[in-house]
Amino acid sequence: MAAEAARKRKLRRRRLLRAGRHAILLGWTCVIIFPVFWMISTSFKDAGEWVTWPPHWLPHQPTLLNYAQIFAFGTLDPTLSRQATEQAFTIWKGLGDATLVCTTASLLALLLGTFLAYAISRFSVGGKYFRHTILMIRMIPPIVVAISILIYYAIIIPYATTALLGVRISMFDTYVGLVLIYTVTTLPFVIWMMLSFIDEVPYTLEHAARLMGAGRIEVIRRIVLPLVASGMVVTFLFVFILNWAEFLLALTLTHPQVTTLTVLLNKFQSASEGRLYGPQAAIGTVVTIPVVVLGLLIQKHLVKGFSFGTIRK
Amino acid sequence: MTEANTTLPIPTLNANSRPAGGLVRWLASERVFRLIPFLLVEGLFVLTILVPFALTIWISLLKWRANRPFETARFAGFENYEAVLTTDQFWLALARTFYFAGMAVALELSIGFVLAMLVSKCTQSRRLYTTIFLVPMMIVPIVVGYNFSMIYIDSGPLNQILAPFMEAFGVDPRIRWLSHPIAAQWAIIIADIWQWTSLTFLIFLSGFAALPRHLVNAARVMGASPWQTFWWIELPLLKPAIVIAVIIRSMEALKLFDPVVLLTFGGPGTSTQTVAYFLWEQVWVFNKFSFGAAASIVLLIIFSILIFFAIYMLIGYRRRVEESAP
Repeated sequence: MAAEAARKRKLRRRRLLRAGRHAILLGWTCVIIFPVFWMISTSFKDAGEWVTWPPHWLPHQPTLLNYAQIFAFGTLDPTLSRQATEQAFTIWKGLGDATLVCTTASLLALLLGTFLAYAISRFSVGGKYFRHTILMIRMIPPIVVAISILIYYAIIIPYATTALLGVRISMFDTYVGLVLIYTVTTLPFVIWMMLSFIDEVPYTLEHAARLMGAGRIEVIRRIVLPLVASGMVVTFLFVFILNWAEFLLALTLTHPQVTTLTVLLNKFQSASEGRLYGPQAAIGTVVTIPVVVLGLLIQKHLVKGFSFGTIRK
Repeated sequence: MTEANTTLPIPTLNANSRPAGGLVRWLASERVFRLIPFLLVEGLFVLTILVPFALTIWISLLKWRANRPFETARFAGFENYEAVLTTDQFWLALARTFYFAGMAVALELSIGFVLAMLVSKCTQSRRLYTTIFLVPMMIVPIVVGYNFSMIYIDSGPLNQILAPFMEAFGVDPRIRWLSHPIAAQWAIIIADIWQWTSLTFLIFLSGFAALPRHLVNAARVMGASPWQTFWWIELPLLKPAIVIAVIIRSMEALKLFDPVVLLTFGGPGTSTQTVAYFLWEQVWVFNKFSFGAAASIVLLIIFSILIFFAIYMLIGYRRRVEESAP
């Protein structure tokens, strides 16, 4: 009898513990969902509902006006343009530039990084601690890089080219300049992620192929690349997300010629016009969705990228 | 480890290979081939990191403002460095950055640890929770800043939620999140916690998953209480994960910039100016290029010490992870 009662008490205690655990986890789930929900909800609100007391949790008169405004082509239709927004805040320029710059920079970094990772993994190029020294580039605060790159792009290169070639060439606010700096800042991530994939390819495979008469480049193309292809896709997506989310370098080194999405989003707040919460929320939603989808696809590998291979999955 | 393999004799004569040009054959030869990617990447780094830094040092020694032609610049020695080191704002911004990073990282670590512990005990709902908890990490930081700027409005949803609690304690429920100095600091810290707890959660979750079950079970069989198992078995085994989370998060948290621009613009006054924001304002708003160059060199020196320390620890822990691998 006593044993029965003790078991029952133990069972009840365990059930209580599980309930408490789920209560805490559900609480954090609410904390996470709340800002995202608020953004999506605001993106469907008209100007009158952006700031009210009490706040409207769901738009009372849902409207697609914000989306129509950011996706408008050319000059704004008078019905779409709000008094506050004389400028055409369309997303197309930002979307196009961000896609172009991020794709090019990620592909370049992937190409260079993969081959360097191969060289590090197979030949220990650059010494034993080379893979760690590469990390330093990632740890330098981007503002320090931004200042020196600004001086380089906007002052030294135009000055030097005028003196030497007689033509003023500036790298400031150009696609090439931004792609170059994005490639450099994401290379450490590519090298680290690709190292973890290439280290797993057995060297004996390559050696066998070499003995059978395949050339170096053929070994890479026919043996190594197919084996790390999925890893390359994951790395590309990870780096793409990083570039897509980058703000400081884009803000400091570009605009108005090149405008990425993050810079565009920032332009919506100006002292004179107040904040355009609705269109901003619509852009935020549009920017967020592809990244979250991509991120969830490579969820398993995220820890590899962020922890530089120090955590084993 | 692979070094030994490469010294094995590899036949250089093969019948199948097509006759290639001299340049291609030279490039594919053992000695040259391994250096091509290395030289390419190193060249890129030198061109985009080292050269600009050298030029930054040179600019930092000049007396020149961007609104005047470059030819009028004159050599000024260490004048700019003196100006940086005697500017209170620089040191205050630096101290504030460390304060924000310390607060945010400490809270992210504790929340992430508790969440990972609870989720690792779940069986059915584990994947669902993991997926939801990872979402903040993938949202673009600038969008996070924007989301919070909307929530922090004086008549916004956060104050509405907090109002009943505040009124119960007799506090004015209308917290001015973005215009009160201390509230604004916490507004930025909270936004950072919201986003990056997911990373510490992820690191700790893989730490918990890698715990050797037999050790925990053995302790339980020997009659250890759950608390004893946690304190004496699990926590010491999780130490590498904790150290790595601290290093990775603090290095990122010290770069804090995006939420400051989106939420407060460094204000009210200078109460939320981080060092990144301070430098940005000096160079891009006030055009003080040589001051900014000197300040960024000072900042780089301060950070290099931290970076070397962080990398030294990462190397040590990575080696330990490799040794413990099966």
